[in-house]
Amino acid sequence: MTSVSRRLFLAGTTLALATPVFLRQGLAQSEPIRIGSLPPLTGGGGPYGPEIADAHRRVVDAVNKAGGVLGRQIQLTVENSETNPEAAVRAARKLIDVDRVIAILGTWESSSTIGIQPLAQQANVLQFSTSSSESVPDGDKKGLTFNLQPLNSAWGVALANLALKRGFREIAFAGPNNDFANSMVDTFRASFVAGGGKVANEPFLYNPNQPSYRAEAERLIRGNPPSVFVAGYVNDFTAVYRELIRAGYKGQVFTTSFATGPQFKEAVGAAANGVLHGFPVPPVGKDAYDTYLRLVGKAPGGQVQNPYGCAAYDQINVLLLAIESAKGIEPSKLREHIFKVANGPGERVTTYADGAKLLAAGKAINYDGASSAVEFKPNGMLKSRDFELYEIRDGRDVSVLRITSEA
Amino acid sequence: MDAYLVAILTIAGIYAIMALGLNIQFGMTGLMNFGVVGFYGLGAYASALVTESLGLPFLAGLVVAMIVGALAGIAVASLSVRLSGDFLAIVTLGFAESVRLVLNNEDWLTRGPRGFSIETRPVPDGFGRDEASLFYLLLVLTALAVSFLIVERLARTPYGRVLRAIREDDLVPAVLGKNVFLYRLQAFVIGSVMMAAAGSLYAHYVQTITPDNFVTAVAILVWMSLVIGGTGNNFGVVLGAVAVMVIFEGSRFIAPLIPWLDAEQMSALRFIAIGVALIFTLRFRPKGLLPEPQCGVPEVLGASAPQASLKLKDQKGSIS
Repeated sequence: MTSVSRRLFLAGTTLALATPVFLRQGLAQSEPIRIGSLPPLTGGGGPYGPEIADAHRRVVDAVNKAGGVLGRQIQLTVENSETNPEAAVRAARKLIDVDRVIAILGTWESSSTIGIQPLAQQANVLQFSTSSSESVPDGDKKGLTFNLQPLNSAWGVALANLALKRGFREIAFAGPNNDFANSMVDTFRASFVAGGGKVANEPFLYNPNQPSYRAEAERLIRGNPPSVFVAGYVNDFTAVYRELIRAGYKGQVFTTSFATGPQFKEAVGAAANGVLHGFPVPPVGKDAYDTYLRLVGKAPGGQVQNPYGCAAYDQINVLLLAIESAKGIEPSKLREHIFKVANGPGERVTTYADGAKLLAAGKAINYDGASSAVEFKPNGMLKSRDFELYEIRDGRDVSVLRITSEA
Repeated sequence: MDAYLVAILTIAGIYAIMALGLNIQFGMTGLMNFGVVGFYGLGAYASALVTESLGLPFLAGLVVAMIVGALAGIAVASLSVRLSGDFLAIVTLGFAESVRLVLNNEDWLTRGPRGFSIETRPVPDGFGRDEASLFYLLLVLTALAVSFLIVERLARTPYGRVLRAIREDDLVPAVLGKNVFLYRLQAFVIGSVMMAAAGSLYAHYVQTITPDNFVTAVAILVWMSLVIGGTGNNFGVVLGAVAVMVIFEGSRFIAPLIPWLDAEQMSALRFIAIGVALIFTLRFRPKGLLPEPQCGVPEVLGASAPQASLKLKDQKGSIS
């Protein structure tokens, strides 16, 4: 009995593993251009992954309907990174070896972007991410990685400048010990001090997912600094903020915008009023951003919506335009043309359709995106992005200051 | 496609090594180790440090990883002296979490959350991408074969019988003069060494590790391999590791067949598939796909074997 079922099982296993081989047979005729999308659909990045996948999907659908790129259809395969580098590596294997994609777009968490980098580099696959780790450009030995998010150090500079412009002169710093806050500490402090400010206490990092943050909050406001900066995410920031209120802290609280979403506002209610927060923003009110919002079925309303979806929209547009411009999908050539279409010089375009028309007419273009102007430095990182400072008033985010910062 | 199969088999092989390690701990000796991922992570980082910071070859990294795994195993085992049931489960869980936190916070050593990138690969120079992956698969399979031989050999010796006796009822071997603690310690350490070795193989395979690679979810995969494959049966747990990987990865290919589900629902479906597989296994094959063989009893006790084993079972509840 046992031996029969073992054989059966082994046969079944083999068959299950071989199924994709049979499936592939049917697909191999028209040779579409294959592109992979690997956003976090579940886990910590779960709130943002779907808008990334959606932006990729809608652009590809529209382009395919209009006849594809270079006369070829685009085949988009979406896999889930699960906000976990271990799962992302397996998914990337599948995208690279089974779907034979030429590029993997949409990785969000830095750990997955750098986790799949060795695979992508070995297979000459392009990467487009919205990850802010300094390790992203470091791991890119072949110049195949492009990033639509400012790096952590740039966040530090930009947020410190926002704080200075707002008139802060003394601030205490804390953040969860993740890649983001970890890399931000030094640049934040350096920029703040360079601008004439003073960092109160010694900046420190705490472990996320703690049951209580009382000790951290106490340490942050030791000596009663006039303002504090918490480089947190929504879960830990909400908890830290509660402790600050409980401790009777009356100074100004400053944090990142992704820590103050609806979840935070619901959790603390009216106590949220007066909190300042900042982050890189898309060019709200500009045509490129509005076009993106309409494409994904949202009404432009002067507010920041889909902060990562708009970057995903730029990822796929730039890649498709580069393919059109390069007249092929050879990675090293594509890389050159990504710089050409993104940085110009050329006529300003904001959609694939407009860009493709100009390219077909033999003109040079310069893509202006929904998340930023999309100008890349030689290492594939962004040249600059807008940062905006908001204040929560009556439970709503009110913009108070905007700067363009080198990313 | 072939490259993908090679990659998935490689990862399944690494999981199978961990599953074998857990099998000697839990399957044979009854030690509940929920901290699998702690030893795995230690092995990965130890190996990475030795090869990248000290510039030694992969083999040195693997050996150091195993030594670190052994030391950690001894430390954890000694911490919970009686090494029994729930105590050990809690201690190991705490251990794994501590390891992750240390990896995350000791930047000067582990580069913290920024991730550790690893250049050293145990692949001969001049190998192309496909040859390199095949070679790595071969390496992992060799390691798996060695682990398998060791564990399977142990299972068939008098030593293995003592371990199983400890699992069933530690009073019996104690009464027979066996040092139960020492046996448990040894079984725990052997398992830990195998997990650390798996970590080393994994680190040099993916070439970038972050503390996020070593979360409890990975340990759950290994535990599922045991439950599905057959706790106590070495063939079974290897099969279980492959089965879990097939369900996990195979479910990706169902996506094109169910176009009305979006990517989010698809990935939820994959976890449902694993859950359903677990329930079906427990319902129809409660001892796993390949149950543990009841070795030894008939030869020793002759015709009266069924009765004797029944009695042993009856006693279990009353003593423990």
